[in-house]
Amino acid sequence: MIVADRKPIEEIIAEIKEHEKILILGCNECVTVCEAGGKKEVGVLASALRMYFLNQGRDVKLDEITLERQCDHEYLEEIRDVIDQYDAVVSLACGVGVQFMAEKYHTMPVYPGVNTCFLGVTEKRGLWTERCQACGQCILARTGGICPVSRCAKRILNGPCGGSTQGSCEINKEISCAWQLIIDRLKALDRLDDYEQIDPIKDWSTDRAGGPRKVEREDVQQ
Amino acid sequence: MNLKRKFDAGEFAVLAEMEPPKGVDVSTMLSNAMRVKGEVDAFVIPEMSNAVMRMSSLGGAMILQGKGMETVMQVNCRDRNRIALQADLLAANGCGITNVMAVAGEDPSFGDHYQARSVYDIDLLELLNAIRGLQDGKDMAGIELSGSPQFLVGSTVDAGAKGKSPELEIEEMTKKIEAGVQFFISPPLFDLSAIHPFMKRVDIQKTKIIPTVLLLKSLGMARYIMRNVDNVYITDSLIDRIQKSPDKVRECTQIASEMVTSLKKEGFSGVNLATLGWEHKLPEILERI
Repeated sequence: MIVADRKPIEEIIAEIKEHEKILILGCNECVTVCEAGGKKEVGVLASALRMYFLNQGRDVKLDEITLERQCDHEYLEEIRDVIDQYDAVVSLACGVGVQFMAEKYHTMPVYPGVNTCFLGVTEKRGLWTERCQACGQCILARTGGICPVSRCAKRILNGPCGGSTQGSCEINKEISCAWQLIIDRLKALDRLDDYEQIDPIKDWSTDRAGGPRKVEREDVQQ
Repeated sequence: MNLKRKFDAGEFAVLAEMEPPKGVDVSTMLSNAMRVKGEVDAFVIPEMSNAVMRMSSLGGAMILQGKGMETVMQVNCRDRNRIALQADLLAANGCGITNVMAVAGEDPSFGDHYQARSVYDIDLLELLNAIRGLQDGKDMAGIELSGSPQFLVGSTVDAGAKGKSPELEIEEMTKKIEAGVQFFISPPLFDLSAIHPFMKRVDIQKTKIIPTVLLLKSLGMARYIMRNVDNVYITDSLIDRIQKSPDKVRECTQIASEMVTSLKKEGFSGVNLATLGWEHKLPEILERI
């Protein structure tokens, strides 16, 4: 899932303080799972903003809606009838949702309510960690299902850098060395011979470095 | 510091691009540069233009400087992060390079290493601010330098470029001037009227604009640019002129010479000659100016 974190409320206030009628728009997908932008967080943010504006002696309209998703036309269409009631939207979706909202409602100011962080997993409640950088050419088959692109600080592809100690990354002891994990996993799979193979030089043109990307499937287009 | 002296004196400066080799045989680059050494104020050394891997601008510049020729080293944010960029700037100035030009750099997808991951750790304006910071004695981390570099700083402006808004370009240019840019190189110009809307809004006596004069190599190249290169104007009459000429290559060098003369008359601060591998034609262009 896309993992996001709550934006400091001071940042949100700094962006929206001039507005009078604000819609707080949540998303029921990834940001709900990582407890940053779902219905519950929409309520918490709206309450905090109401307190702020009350203390400022201002009567600001603050409404709460949470859509199933903000990255699909059909769900964003659900607010078309009500959007004119507002002069700003704070979207608690990831950066994808914020942008799609802004594209769809071109004259409506849309502000991000979360910081979008990475593609990751819930290790346990309150702890989310990165697993994928969406490089566009998955190499997990060769690395025992552990990604050095997202989990090695140096993103190196042919074995550890030599800086790790007792399985920990040199940049932070709390981070596991991705290559130690890969070696352990290959051992468990009895595939350690794979470790001897040198990977071909990676083609980064499918990564974000190659520019904004798209996936186009004519077979599913109508 | 010939270039700075010329700019300070308000004299017309002649720059010429000198592409370093793809390899280590620098003999052609050197001999081409030596032939026009006395007529060119400084050689602009592209930093892997079009993202084609070749000897770096720093390397090429150091080789020419070693033979007594002044250079303008290019830096861009595509291939280096802030650490490497600052390190190269210190190396350059330490080796006697006093002119630097910050450019955006084309995307790797245009070049011969399209699989490469571009860097863009900082952007062009941040790089310009970093150069100013180095000149003020501090690196981007705020740490004091042991000896600060001093540069004449240049950049690019899309003056006279097809499809560009002069207002937006001037805003961009103003931001760059605020970040310490002292001269601007603009895209190839074949028709002076293309740059007139820009000139109406900018005092070229005060702001040092150096238009590029690109040597056309053939009728085909001229047609290709007219049809496919977004930011360059080529008129039908220019195409006609090349087409009717019995010696098209000579006609093209004549066109380049005439454009240099026109730019000098218009009051520009200088010209940047781009010959794209035909640096051996520089003497022919320069002798007719």
